[in-house]
Amino acid sequence: MPEHATSTGRKTRRMPVQTQASINLIDLLYKITLLRCFIKWILRLVTGTCELQRITQKYKSGVCTVKIEESLQRSKFSEIRQMIEVEPEDIDAAIQQIISLKNISFDANSRFISCMKVCLEQIHGYDSLFCTIEELRVETYNSCNGNHEALLLKLWNLLQPENALKERVSRQWGEIGFQGTDPKTDFRGMGILGLKNLVYFAEVHNELARKTLLHSHHPQYGYSYAIVGINLTSMAYEFMSSGLLRTHFFNTVHGRPNVNHFNEVFSYLMFEFDKFWMKSEPENVMEFSRIRDEFNQTVEAVLKYVPSAKLSLDNSS
Amino acid sequence: MGLLKLLRKLKSESNKELRILLLGLDNAGKTTILKKLASEDINHITPTQGFNIKSVQSQGFKLNVWDIGGQRRIRPYWRNYFENTDVLIYVVDSTDKKRLEETGVELEELVTDEKLSGVPLLVFANKQDLLQAAPASDIADGLSLHTLSGRTYQIQACSALKGEGIQDGLEWVMKTVSKKKK
Repeated sequence: MPEHATSTGRKTRRMPVQTQASINLIDLLYKITLLRCFIKWILRLVTGTCELQRITQKYKSGVCTVKIEESLQRSKFSEIRQMIEVEPEDIDAAIQQIISLKNISFDANSRFISCMKVCLEQIHGYDSLFCTIEELRVETYNSCNGNHEALLLKLWNLLQPENALKERVSRQWGEIGFQGTDPKTDFRGMGILGLKNLVYFAEVHNELARKTLLHSHHPQYGYSYAIVGINLTSMAYEFMSSGLLRTHFFNTVHGRPNVNHFNEVFSYLMFEFDKFWMKSEPENVMEFSRIRDEFNQTVEAVLKYVPSAKLSLDNSS
Repeated sequence: MGLLKLLRKLKSESNKELRILLLGLDNAGKTTILKKLASEDINHITPTQGFNIKSVQSQGFKLNVWDIGGQRRIRPYWRNYFENTDVLIYVVDSTDKKRLEETGVELEELVTDEKLSGVPLLVFANKQDLLQAAPASDIADGLSLHTLSGRTYQIQACSALKGEGIQDGLEWVMKTVSKKKK
Protein backbone atom coordinates (compact mmCIF):
# COMPACT_ATOMS: atom_id res chain seq x y z
CA MET A 1 0.00 0.00 0.00
CA PRO A 2 1.95 2.99 -1.27
CA GLU A 3 -0.06 5.73 0.51
CA HIS A 4 0.68 4.18 3.84
CA ALA A 5 4.35 3.99 2.94
CA THR A 6 4.55 7.78 2.41
CA SER A 7 2.46 8.65 5.43
CA THR A 8 4.83 6.83 7.78
CA GLY A 9 7.32 9.70 7.36
CA ARG A 10 11.05 9.84 6.96
CA LYS A 11 12.06 8.67 10.39
CA THR A 12 10.58 5.22 10.07
CA ARG A 13 12.55 2.77 8.00
CA ARG A 14 10.92 1.88 4.69
CA MET A 15 9.54 -1.58 4.68
CA PRO A 16 8.91 -3.66 1.58
CA VAL A 17 5.32 -3.22 0.46
CA GLN A 18 4.59 -6.90 0.95
CA THR A 19 5.72 -6.93 4.58
CA GLN A 20 3.62 -3.88 5.32
CA ALA A 21 0.60 -5.43 3.69
CA SER A 22 1.00 -8.60 5.74
CA ILE A 23 1.43 -6.55 8.94
CA ASN A 24 -1.77 -4.67 8.10
CA LEU A 25 -3.49 -7.99 7.54
CA ILE A 26 -2.26 -9.40 10.86
CA ASP A 27 -3.38 -6.22 12.56
CA LEU A 28 -6.80 -6.51 10.98
CA LEU A 29 -7.16 -10.17 11.93
CA TYR A 30 -6.10 -9.34 15.48
CA LYS A 31 -8.75 -6.63 15.70
CA ILE A 32 -11.40 -8.98 14.31
CA THR A 33 -10.46 -11.65 16.85
CA LEU A 34 -10.57 -9.12 19.68
CA LEU A 35 -13.94 -7.88 18.48
CA ARG A 36 -15.24 -11.44 18.21
CA CYS A 37 -14.11 -12.26 21.75
CA PHE A 38 -15.70 -9.08 23.00
CA ILE A 39 -19.03 -9.81 21.30
CA LYS A 40 -18.94 -13.38 22.62
CA TRP A 41 -18.29 -12.07 26.13
CA ILE A 42 -21.17 -9.59 25.94
CA LEU A 43 -23.51 -12.26 24.56
CA ARG A 44 -22.55 -14.66 27.29
CA LEU A 45 -23.26 -11.96 29.91
CA VAL A 46 -26.62 -11.11 28.42
CA THR A 47 -27.94 -14.57 27.49
CA GLY A 48 -26.11 -16.65 30.08
CA THR A 49 -25.20 -19.20 27.38
CA CYS A 50 -21.95 -19.89 25.54
CA GLU A 51 -21.49 -19.83 21.77
CA LEU A 52 -21.93 -23.60 21.41
CA GLN A 53 -25.24 -23.48 23.25
CA ARG A 54 -26.45 -20.58 21.15
CA ILE A 55 -25.60 -22.50 17.98
CA THR A 56 -27.48 -25.63 19.09
CA GLN A 57 -30.49 -23.50 19.98
CA LYS A 58 -30.51 -21.43 16.84
CA TYR A 59 -29.56 -23.80 14.03
CA LYS A 60 -30.79 -27.17 12.87
CA SER A 61 -29.16 -30.22 11.22
CA GLY A 62 -26.35 -29.55 8.74
CA VAL A 63 -25.85 -25.86 9.43
CA CYS A 64 -25.64 -26.57 13.16
CA THR A 65 -22.85 -29.13 12.61
CA VAL A 66 -20.88 -26.78 10.35
CA LYS A 67 -21.13 -23.93 12.90
CA ILE A 68 -20.24 -26.19 15.84
CA GLU A 69 -17.20 -27.43 13.96
CA GLU A 70 -16.06 -23.87 13.21
CA SER A 71 -16.58 -22.86 16.82
CA LEU A 72 -14.65 -25.85 18.18
CA GLN A 73 -11.80 -25.22 15.72
CA ARG A 74 -11.47 -21.65 16.99
CA SER A 75 -11.62 -22.60 20.66
CA LYS A 76 -8.95 -21.17 22.94
CA PHE A 77 -8.59 -24.61 24.59
CA SER A 78 -6.19 -26.87 22.71
CA GLU A 79 -8.02 -29.94 24.14
CA ILE A 80 -11.18 -28.81 22.36
CA ARG A 81 -9.43 -28.01 19.07
CA GLN A 82 -7.89 -31.48 19.25
CA MET A 83 -11.37 -33.05 19.38
CA ILE A 84 -11.92 -31.93 15.78
CA GLU A 85 -8.53 -33.06 14.52
CA VAL A 86 -8.56 -36.53 16.08
CA GLU A 87 -11.70 -38.48 16.91
CA PRO A 88 -12.11 -38.76 20.70
CA GLU A 89 -12.25 -42.36 21.91
CA ASP A 90 -15.23 -41.60 24.12
CA ILE A 91 -17.49 -38.91 22.68
CA ASP A 92 -19.62 -38.63 25.86
CA ALA A 93 -16.51 -38.00 27.93
CA ALA A 94 -15.32 -35.43 25.39
CA ILE A 95 -18.60 -33.54 25.66
CA GLN A 96 -18.36 -33.57 29.47
CA GLN A 97 -14.86 -32.15 29.09
CA ILE A 98 -16.18 -29.33 26.89
CA ILE A 99 -18.86 -28.59 29.49
CA SER A 100 -16.39 -28.37 32.33
CA LEU A 101 -13.69 -26.46 30.39
CA LYS A 102 -16.16 -23.88 29.19
CA ASN A 103 -18.04 -23.89 32.46
CA ILE A 104 -21.38 -24.42 30.73
CA SER A 105 -24.53 -24.48 32.79
CA PHE A 106 -27.80 -25.68 31.35
CA ASP A 107 -31.05 -27.22 32.50
CA ALA A 108 -31.63 -30.93 32.31
CA ASN A 109 -34.08 -30.67 29.42
CA SER A 110 -31.56 -28.97 27.19
CA ARG A 111 -30.80 -30.76 23.96
CA PHE A 112 -27.24 -29.50 24.16
CA ILE A 113 -25.60 -32.85 24.94
CA SER A 114 -27.52 -34.86 22.35
CA CYS A 115 -26.92 -32.17 19.77
CA MET A 116 -23.18 -32.03 20.42
CA LYS A 117 -23.00 -35.80 20.21
CA VAL A 118 -24.66 -35.91 16.80
CA CYS A 119 -22.39 -33.11 15.56
CA LEU A 120 -19.19 -34.83 16.66
CA GLU A 121 -20.35 -38.14 15.23
CA GLN A 122 -21.24 -36.53 11.91
CA ILE A 123 -17.91 -34.73 11.68
CA HIS A 124 -15.80 -37.81 12.40
CA GLY A 125 -18.18 -40.21 10.67
CA TYR A 126 -17.55 -38.37 7.41
CA ASP A 127 -13.80 -38.87 7.65
CA SER A 128 -14.05 -42.55 8.53
CA LEU A 129 -16.57 -43.14 5.72
CA PHE A 130 -14.09 -41.61 3.31
CA CYS A 131 -11.45 -44.13 4.50
CA THR A 132 -13.87 -47.00 3.83
CA ILE A 133 -14.74 -45.61 0.38
CA GLU A 134 -11.05 -45.26 -0.44
CA GLU A 135 -10.40 -48.89 0.59
CA LEU A 136 -13.14 -50.07 -1.79
CA ARG A 137 -11.83 -47.88 -4.58
CA VAL A 138 -8.27 -49.18 -4.41
CA GLU A 139 -9.51 -52.81 -4.38
CA THR A 140 -9.14 -53.72 -8.06
CA TYR A 141 -11.55 -56.10 -9.73
CA ASN A 142 -10.07 -59.58 -9.78
CA SER A 143 -11.77 -62.35 -11.74
CA CYS A 144 -10.14 -64.97 -9.48
CA ASN A 145 -11.98 -63.49 -6.49
CA GLY A 146 -15.27 -65.37 -5.98
CA ASN A 147 -16.92 -62.43 -4.22
CA HIS A 148 -16.13 -60.07 -7.07
CA GLU A 149 -17.44 -62.52 -9.65
CA ALA A 150 -20.63 -63.16 -7.67
CA LEU A 151 -21.24 -59.42 -7.38
CA LEU A 152 -20.79 -58.96 -11.12
CA LEU A 153 -23.24 -61.77 -11.96
CA LYS A 154 -25.66 -60.33 -9.42
CA LEU A 155 -25.58 -57.04 -11.31
CA TRP A 156 -26.48 -58.84 -14.51
CA ASN A 157 -29.37 -60.74 -12.91
CA LEU A 158 -30.76 -57.62 -11.26
CA LEU A 159 -30.75 -55.65 -14.48
CA GLN A 160 -31.62 -58.42 -16.92
CA PRO A 161 -33.75 -60.91 -14.93
CA GLU A 162 -35.51 -62.20 -18.03
CA ASN A 163 -32.38 -62.58 -20.06
CA ALA A 164 -29.86 -65.18 -18.92
CA LEU A 165 -26.15 -64.54 -19.41
CA LYS A 166 -25.01 -67.33 -21.71
CA GLU A 167 -21.29 -67.15 -20.98
CA ARG A 168 -19.14 -65.34 -18.45
CA VAL A 169 -17.12 -63.74 -21.27
CA SER A 170 -19.70 -62.55 -23.71
CA ARG A 171 -20.81 -59.76 -26.01
CA GLN A 172 -23.98 -59.64 -23.91
CA TRP A 173 -22.25 -57.42 -21.33
CA GLY A 174 -22.66 -54.62 -23.83
CA GLU A 175 -26.42 -54.72 -23.20
CA ILE A 176 -25.91 -53.27 -19.72
CA GLY A 177 -23.27 -50.89 -20.98
CA PHE A 178 -19.88 -52.49 -20.45
CA GLN A 179 -17.33 -51.87 -23.19
CA GLY A 180 -16.25 -55.29 -24.33
CA THR A 181 -16.81 -58.96 -23.61
CA ASP A 182 -15.42 -58.92 -20.07
CA PRO A 183 -16.33 -56.13 -17.63
CA LYS A 184 -13.25 -56.81 -15.48
CA THR A 185 -11.20 -54.18 -17.35
CA ASP A 186 -13.86 -51.48 -17.08
CA PHE A 187 -13.69 -50.68 -13.37
CA ARG A 188 -10.23 -49.09 -13.65
CA GLY A 189 -9.50 -46.43 -11.06
CA MET A 190 -12.84 -46.87 -9.28
CA GLY A 191 -12.27 -50.56 -8.48
CA ILE A 192 -14.87 -52.48 -6.49
CA LEU A 193 -16.45 -49.21 -5.39
CA GLY A 194 -17.80 -48.77 -8.94
CA LEU A 195 -19.27 -52.28 -8.97
CA LYS A 196 -20.82 -51.93 -5.48
CA ASN A 197 -22.46 -48.65 -6.48
CA LEU A 198 -23.99 -50.24 -9.59
CA VAL A 199 -25.23 -53.29 -7.68
CA TYR A 200 -26.78 -51.15 -4.93
CA PHE A 201 -28.71 -48.99 -7.37
CA ALA A 202 -29.90 -52.07 -9.28
CA GLU A 203 -30.91 -53.85 -6.07
CA VAL A 204 -32.43 -51.16 -3.87
CA HIS A 205 -33.94 -49.03 -6.63
CA ASN A 206 -34.52 -51.84 -9.11
CA GLU A 207 -37.41 -50.24 -10.94
CA LEU A 208 -35.54 -46.93 -11.38
CA ALA A 209 -32.36 -48.69 -12.43
CA ARG A 210 -34.16 -50.68 -15.10
CA LYS A 211 -35.95 -47.57 -16.30
CA THR A 212 -32.58 -45.82 -16.55
CA LEU A 213 -31.12 -48.81 -18.39
CA LEU A 214 -34.00 -48.63 -20.83
CA HIS A 215 -33.21 -44.94 -21.51
CA SER A 216 -29.60 -45.89 -22.16
CA HIS A 217 -30.85 -48.02 -25.06
CA HIS A 218 -32.55 -45.05 -26.72
CA PRO A 219 -31.75 -45.06 -30.47
CA GLN A 220 -30.49 -41.46 -30.48
CA TYR A 221 -29.84 -40.50 -26.86
CA GLY A 222 -28.43 -43.89 -25.90
CA TYR A 223 -25.29 -44.26 -23.78
CA SER A 224 -23.33 -47.07 -22.08
CA TYR A 225 -25.14 -47.59 -18.78
CA ALA A 226 -22.35 -49.27 -16.78
CA ILE A 227 -19.56 -47.05 -18.12
CA VAL A 228 -21.52 -43.90 -17.35
CA GLY A 229 -22.17 -45.40 -13.91
CA ILE A 230 -18.45 -45.85 -13.30
CA ASN A 231 -17.90 -42.23 -14.37
CA LEU A 232 -20.57 -41.16 -11.88
CA THR A 233 -18.91 -43.19 -9.13
CA SER A 234 -15.87 -41.09 -9.89
CA MET A 235 -17.98 -37.94 -9.56
CA ALA A 236 -19.40 -39.04 -6.20
CA TYR A 237 -15.90 -39.96 -5.04
CA GLU A 238 -14.56 -36.51 -6.00
CA PHE A 239 -17.40 -34.83 -4.10
CA MET A 240 -16.58 -37.03 -1.11
CA SER A 241 -12.82 -36.45 -1.14
CA SER A 242 -13.14 -32.68 -1.57
CA GLY A 243 -15.49 -32.54 1.42
CA LEU A 244 -18.41 -31.25 -0.66
CA LEU A 245 -20.71 -34.07 0.50
CA ARG A 246 -20.44 -32.91 4.10
CA THR A 247 -23.43 -30.59 3.71
CA HIS A 248 -25.51 -33.42 2.28
CA PHE A 249 -24.53 -35.98 4.93
CA PHE A 250 -24.88 -33.52 7.82
CA ASN A 251 -28.38 -32.71 6.59
CA THR A 252 -29.55 -36.25 5.97
CA VAL A 253 -27.74 -38.60 8.37
CA HIS A 254 -28.34 -38.15 12.09
CA GLY A 255 -25.03 -39.62 13.18
CA ARG A 256 -22.32 -41.55 11.36
CA PRO A 257 -22.88 -42.08 7.62
CA ASN A 258 -22.08 -45.52 6.17
CA VAL A 259 -21.36 -47.02 2.74
CA ASN A 260 -25.06 -47.28 1.92
CA HIS A 261 -25.45 -43.55 2.40
CA PHE A 262 -22.71 -43.13 -0.20
CA ASN A 263 -24.51 -45.67 -2.43
CA GLU A 264 -27.59 -43.47 -2.14
CA VAL A 265 -25.62 -40.47 -3.39
CA PHE A 266 -24.51 -42.57 -6.36
CA SER A 267 -28.12 -43.64 -7.01
CA TYR A 268 -29.15 -39.99 -6.95
CA LEU A 269 -26.42 -39.06 -9.45
CA MET A 270 -27.31 -41.97 -11.74
CA PHE A 271 -31.00 -41.11 -11.78
CA GLU A 272 -30.52 -37.35 -12.06
CA PHE A 273 -27.79 -37.61 -14.70
CA ASP A 274 -30.09 -39.70 -16.87
CA LYS A 275 -32.77 -37.02 -16.64
CA PHE A 276 -30.21 -34.30 -17.34
CA TRP A 277 -28.83 -36.19 -20.32
CA MET A 278 -32.24 -36.90 -21.90
CA LYS A 279 -33.25 -33.26 -21.42
CA SER A 280 -30.04 -32.07 -23.11
CA GLU A 281 -31.02 -34.02 -26.24
CA PRO A 282 -27.38 -34.72 -27.19
CA GLU A 283 -26.52 -35.29 -30.81
CA ASN A 284 -24.73 -38.49 -29.89
CA VAL A 285 -22.74 -40.17 -27.14
CA MET A 286 -19.64 -38.10 -28.00
CA GLU A 287 -21.23 -35.23 -26.10
CA PHE A 288 -20.86 -37.11 -22.85
CA SER A 289 -17.88 -35.17 -21.42
CA ARG A 290 -19.53 -31.80 -22.00
CA ILE A 291 -22.87 -32.83 -20.50
CA ARG A 292 -21.19 -34.61 -17.60
CA ASP A 293 -19.23 -31.44 -16.78
CA GLU A 294 -22.39 -29.33 -16.89
CA PHE A 295 -24.16 -31.80 -14.63
CA ASN A 296 -21.18 -31.82 -12.28
CA GLN A 297 -21.24 -28.03 -12.00
CA THR A 298 -24.96 -28.03 -11.26
CA VAL A 299 -24.66 -30.52 -8.40
CA GLU A 300 -21.49 -28.88 -7.12
CA ALA A 301 -23.22 -25.49 -6.93
CA VAL A 302 -26.01 -26.97 -4.81
CA LEU A 303 -23.54 -28.65 -2.44
CA LYS A 304 -21.46 -25.47 -2.15
CA TYR A 305 -24.04 -22.76 -1.84
CA VAL A 306 -27.22 -24.32 -0.47
CA PRO A 307 -26.87 -24.91 3.29
CA SER A 308 -29.94 -27.17 3.34
CA ALA A 309 -28.70 -29.28 0.38
CA LYS A 310 -29.95 -32.88 0.28
CA LEU A 311 -29.23 -35.14 -2.67
CA SER A 312 -32.29 -37.32 -2.27
CA LEU A 313 -33.77 -39.51 -4.95
CA ASP A 314 -37.01 -38.02 -6.17
CA ASN A 315 -38.73 -40.55 -8.39
CA SER A 316 -42.08 -38.81 -8.51
CA SER A 317 -41.49 -37.46 -12.02
CA MET B 1 5.94 -2.88 -41.97
CA GLY B 2 4.96 -3.29 -38.36
CA LEU B 3 1.63 -4.80 -39.28
CA LEU B 4 3.22 -7.21 -41.73
CA LYS B 5 5.62 -8.34 -39.07
CA LEU B 6 2.75 -8.88 -36.65
CA LEU B 7 0.85 -10.92 -39.21
CA ARG B 8 3.90 -13.04 -39.90
CA LYS B 9 4.33 -13.59 -36.18
CA LEU B 10 0.69 -14.61 -35.83
CA LYS B 11 1.07 -17.03 -38.72
CA SER B 12 4.11 -18.68 -37.23
CA GLU B 13 2.33 -18.86 -33.84
CA SER B 14 -0.65 -20.63 -35.37
CA ASN B 15 1.71 -23.03 -37.08
CA LYS B 16 2.94 -24.04 -33.70
CA GLU B 17 -0.31 -25.73 -32.77
CA LEU B 18 -0.56 -29.46 -33.39
CA ARG B 19 -3.54 -31.71 -33.46
CA ILE B 20 -2.79 -35.18 -32.17
CA LEU B 21 -5.26 -38.01 -32.30
CA LEU B 22 -5.02 -40.85 -29.75
CA LEU B 23 -6.83 -43.98 -30.88
CA GLY B 24 -6.90 -47.67 -30.03
CA LEU B 25 -9.21 -50.34 -28.59
CA ASP B 26 -10.83 -49.92 -25.17
CA ASN B 27 -8.50 -50.65 -22.25
CA ALA B 28 -5.39 -49.96 -24.38
CA GLY B 29 -4.33 -47.12 -22.08
CA LYS B 30 -5.11 -44.01 -24.14
CA THR B 31 -6.42 -41.92 -21.26
CA THR B 32 -3.49 -42.93 -19.04
CA ILE B 33 -1.08 -41.80 -21.79
CA LEU B 34 -3.02 -38.55 -22.17
CA LYS B 35 -2.81 -37.90 -18.43
CA LYS B 36 0.89 -38.78 -18.36
CA LEU B 37 1.53 -36.33 -21.22
CA ALA B 38 -0.27 -33.65 -19.20
CA SER B 39 1.59 -34.70 -15.99
CA GLU B 40 -1.68 -35.49 -14.23
CA ASP B 41 -2.58 -38.08 -11.62
CA ILE B 42 -3.45 -41.47 -13.18
CA ASN B 43 -5.03 -43.16 -10.15
CA HIS B 44 -8.64 -42.19 -10.75
CA ILE B 45 -9.10 -43.07 -14.41
CA THR B 46 -12.51 -44.20 -15.68
CA PRO B 47 -13.48 -45.65 -19.07
CA THR B 48 -13.89 -42.90 -21.66
CA GLN B 49 -17.44 -42.34 -22.77
CA GLY B 50 -17.04 -39.94 -25.69
CA PHE B 51 -13.66 -38.24 -25.63
CA ASN B 52 -11.17 -36.26 -23.57
CA ILE B 53 -9.03 -33.42 -24.83
CA LYS B 54 -5.98 -31.80 -23.27
CA SER B 55 -3.49 -29.20 -24.40
CA VAL B 56 0.14 -29.89 -23.62
CA GLN B 57 3.15 -27.61 -24.20
CA SER B 58 6.21 -29.25 -25.69
CA GLN B 59 9.29 -27.62 -27.20
CA GLY B 60 7.40 -24.45 -28.06
CA PHE B 61 4.51 -26.35 -29.62
CA LYS B 62 0.99 -26.46 -28.28
CA LEU B 63 -0.22 -30.02 -28.64
CA ASN B 64 -3.97 -30.50 -28.65
CA VAL B 65 -4.35 -34.15 -27.82
CA TRP B 66 -7.69 -35.82 -28.55
CA ASP B 67 -8.30 -39.07 -26.70
CA ILE B 68 -11.33 -40.81 -28.19
CA GLY B 69 -13.05 -43.72 -26.45
CA GLY B 70 -12.15 -47.13 -27.88
CA GLN B 71 -15.22 -49.25 -27.26
CA ARG B 72 -16.84 -50.78 -30.30
CA ARG B 73 -19.94 -48.59 -30.27
CA ILE B 74 -17.82 -45.42 -30.28
CA ARG B 75 -15.42 -46.46 -33.06
CA PRO B 76 -17.79 -45.32 -35.87
CA TYR B 77 -17.34 -41.76 -34.51
CA TRP B 78 -13.54 -41.86 -34.78
CA ARG B 79 -13.62 -40.52 -38.32
CA ASN B 80 -15.37 -37.33 -37.16
CA TYR B 81 -12.06 -36.38 -35.59
CA PHE B 82 -9.71 -37.13 -38.51
CA GLU B 83 -9.71 -33.69 -40.15
CA ASN B 84 -6.47 -31.69 -39.84
CA THR B 85 -4.73 -34.32 -37.75
CA ASP B 86 -0.96 -33.75 -37.59
CA VAL B 87 0.00 -37.01 -35.89
CA LEU B 88 -1.89 -40.20 -35.20
CA ILE B 89 -0.93 -42.08 -32.06
CA TYR B 90 -2.28 -45.62 -31.97
CA VAL B 91 -2.19 -47.40 -28.62
CA VAL B 92 -2.05 -51.19 -28.29
CA ASP B 93 -2.38 -53.27 -25.11
CA SER B 94 0.64 -55.57 -25.56
CA THR B 95 -0.84 -58.14 -23.15
CA ASP B 96 -4.11 -58.50 -25.06
CA LYS B 97 -3.04 -61.16 -27.56
CA LYS B 98 -6.63 -62.22 -28.15
CA ARG B 99 -7.47 -58.85 -29.62
CA LEU B 100 -4.26 -58.20 -31.55
CA GLU B 101 -6.06 -59.12 -34.75
CA GLU B 102 -9.02 -56.87 -33.91
CA THR B 103 -6.75 -53.92 -33.21
CA GLY B 104 -4.89 -54.65 -36.47
CA VAL B 105 -8.14 -54.47 -38.42
CA GLU B 106 -9.03 -51.12 -36.84
CA LEU B 107 -5.57 -49.71 -37.62
CA GLU B 108 -5.81 -50.96 -41.19
CA GLU B 109 -9.04 -48.98 -41.59
CA LEU B 110 -7.37 -45.86 -40.21
CA VAL B 111 -4.33 -45.97 -42.47
CA THR B 112 -6.42 -46.55 -45.58
CA ASP B 113 -8.66 -43.56 -44.83
CA GLU B 114 -8.08 -40.65 -47.17
CA LYS B 115 -8.41 -38.02 -44.45
CA LEU B 116 -5.44 -39.57 -42.66
CA SER B 117 -3.27 -40.16 -45.69
CA GLY B 118 0.36 -39.21 -45.10
CA VAL B 119 -0.25 -38.46 -41.40
CA PRO B 120 2.74 -39.73 -39.36
CA LEU B 121 1.87 -42.71 -37.18
CA LEU B 122 3.26 -43.53 -33.76
CA VAL B 123 2.28 -46.90 -32.32
CA PHE B 124 2.62 -47.27 -28.56
CA ALA B 125 3.09 -50.91 -27.54
CA ASN B 126 1.75 -50.23 -24.04
CA LYS B 127 1.77 -52.16 -20.74
CA GLN B 128 5.37 -53.35 -21.11
CA ASP B 129 5.61 -53.40 -17.29
CA LEU B 130 3.48 -56.56 -17.28
CA LEU B 131 5.13 -59.96 -17.57
CA GLN B 132 2.81 -61.28 -20.25
CA ALA B 133 3.41 -58.28 -22.54
CA ALA B 134 4.50 -59.11 -26.07
CA PRO B 135 7.63 -57.27 -27.21
CA ALA B 136 7.16 -54.26 -29.48
CA SER B 137 8.59 -56.19 -32.44
CA ASP B 138 5.82 -58.82 -32.14
CA ILE B 139 3.21 -56.07 -32.02
CA ALA B 140 4.74 -54.48 -35.13
CA ASP B 141 4.53 -57.84 -36.92
CA GLY B 142 0.97 -58.44 -35.70
CA LEU B 143 -0.09 -55.07 -37.08
CA SER B 144 1.89 -55.65 -40.32
CA LEU B 145 3.50 -52.22 -39.94
CA HIS B 146 6.15 -53.13 -42.54
CA THR B 147 3.49 -53.10 -45.26
CA LEU B 148 2.74 -49.39 -44.66
CA SER B 149 3.83 -47.30 -47.60
CA GLY B 150 4.07 -43.55 -48.02
CA ARG B 151 3.90 -42.91 -44.33
CA THR B 152 6.42 -42.13 -41.61
CA TYR B 153 5.80 -44.42 -38.68
CA GLN B 154 7.43 -45.56 -35.49
CA ILE B 155 6.68 -48.25 -32.90
CA GLN B 156 7.54 -47.40 -29.33
CA ALA B 157 7.46 -49.82 -26.39
CA CYS B 158 6.07 -48.10 -23.31
CA SER B 159 4.47 -48.41 -19.92
CA ALA B 160 2.05 -45.55 -19.38
CA LEU B 161 1.63 -46.67 -15.78
CA LYS B 162 5.34 -46.32 -15.04
CA GLY B 163 5.75 -43.42 -17.44
CA GLU B 164 8.43 -45.28 -19.40
CA GLY B 165 8.74 -44.76 -23.15
CA ILE B 166 6.14 -41.98 -23.31
CA GLN B 167 8.75 -39.23 -23.52
CA ASP B 168 10.66 -41.11 -26.24
CA GLY B 169 7.46 -41.37 -28.25
CA LEU B 170 6.77 -37.69 -27.79
CA GLU B 171 10.29 -36.83 -28.92
CA TRP B 172 9.78 -38.81 -32.11
CA VAL B 173 6.52 -36.88 -32.68
CA MET B 174 8.27 -33.53 -32.21
CA LYS B 175 11.16 -34.50 -34.46
CA THR B 176 8.84 -35.74 -37.20
CA VAL B 177 6.55 -32.72 -37.22
CA SER B 178 9.36 -30.16 -37.09
CA LYS B 179 10.88 -31.81 -40.15
CA LYS B 180 7.49 -31.68 -41.86
CA LYS B 181 6.69 -28.08 -40.88
CA LYS B 182 9.98 -26.86 -42.33
